[in-house]
Amino acid sequence: MCNLPVKVVCRANAEYMSPSGKVPFIHVGNQVVSELGPIVQFVKAKGHSLSDGLDEVQKAEMKAYMELVNNMLLTAELYLQWCDEATVGEITHTRYGSPYPWPLNHILAYQKQWEVKRKMKAIGWGKKTLDQVLEDVDQCCQALSQRLGTQPYFFNKQPTELDALVFGHLYTILTTQLTNDELSEKVKNYSNLLAFCRRIEQHYFEDRGKGRLS
Amino acid sequence: MAAPLELSCWGGGWGLPSVHSESLVVMAYAKFSGAPLKVIVIDGTWRGSRGDVPILTTEDNIVSQPAKILNFLRKQKYNADYELSAKQGADTLAYIALLEEKLLPAVLHTFWVETDNYFTVTKPWFASRIPFPLSLILPGRMSKGALNRILLTRGQPPLYHLREVEAQIYKDAKECLNLLSNRLGTSQFFFGDTPSTLDAYVFGFLAPLYKVQFPKIQLQKHLKQLSNLCRFCDDILNSYFRLSLGDG
Repeated sequence: MCNLPVKVVCRANAEYMSPSGKVPFIHVGNQVVSELGPIVQFVKAKGHSLSDGLDEVQKAEMKAYMELVNNMLLTAELYLQWCDEATVGEITHTRYGSPYPWPLNHILAYQKQWEVKRKMKAIGWGKKTLDQVLEDVDQCCQALSQRLGTQPYFFNKQPTELDALVFGHLYTILTTQLTNDELSEKVKNYSNLLAFCRRIEQHYFEDRGKGRLS
Repeated sequence: MAAPLELSCWGGGWGLPSVHSESLVVMAYAKFSGAPLKVIVIDGTWRGSRGDVPILTTEDNIVSQPAKILNFLRKQKYNADYELSAKQGADTLAYIALLEEKLLPAVLHTFWVETDNYFTVTKPWFASRIPFPLSLILPGRMSKGALNRILLTRGQPPLYHLREVEAQIYKDAKECLNLLSNRLGTSQFFFGDTPSTLDAYVFGFLAPLYKVQFPKIQLQKHLKQLSNLCRFCDDILNSYFRLSLGDG
């Protein structure tokens, strides 16, 4: 969205290469910056920003909605990937351990699962059932859908980091194959969110020829 | 609706009806929506439970956690958000997420992790309201729970260290307070003239920070500089909680 030249590289040890232990991170010259927040700051310091046109109240709103996405969508994604036994067994375990030889693939996958479950327990999601998690996702999507309304982007004509964040999560939810489709069905209930994803995909990613939204 | 609604929660002090954020959120919401709650303050007796507070008890239901309690009250037709538009409802969810992600870690730290504060204020206060010998165990457990939550949500083990995390969470909290102050502006409440769920949450998180006397008060100092937020807390205390200021 900022028109910056980016080369995407996939690495199995990406989490260990990152300075904060989290992906994604960018490698620019001799600097490494990880996670969306710091990357946005870094890019802004270099003179590119999507949210300069917003006033203080709008910036507050944007930050609040970004936290909503982090709080609900991200946690729900983690829950589905690591705490739902069916998904863990069939998909996550194999996928997470696939770059490593046996027995490392099992050990690392179990370790990651244990870490995620610990985190869920600490924030009070440990006792949630899948249905409750899906309800939370629905509430979050409803809020996003109401905020978006009929506008092309969340803050009308220009995309901001909020649009990037929402697109990232929704696109992943819509296009990742899981054991059940309930999560993506929740998102599909909101036609303006679907249209939003399609629009961004077509506008910013079409040259990759990887359009996967049906 | 005629069934008595009983709320078990931690008691008050320093001019507040409760020093516990989550209890305060529920109490404030009940006042705003007109729900007739019978407040049962946890004291040093063995009556009632202390875990998972605040807890709402009705004839046939036990509900815990503020979000669930508020949902329950709304279903009983005590709805403080009746006049909000769909967009304002969405904004409410977003701002609550902001509070939980950016402000809560620092509030937890100020109360439960910062050693001076914990040992001179928080621990004695809570221990005096818990029957012996539970008073030796429960505060420690709550403190550990708070530390755990901060570390698990703010850094990925084993790359975290409390000192680095501390600096970041206070920075985030101050930014969050600034954002709230900007959003409130000169209005009386966050959505016009009547208080709603968001006001209950903001009040619940801010009031203890504002009023409790701690030795280490960097976040409180920052809050006191944001006069509209202080005015917001004082207004709610004066309008809705005047009669219960005698509780301690």
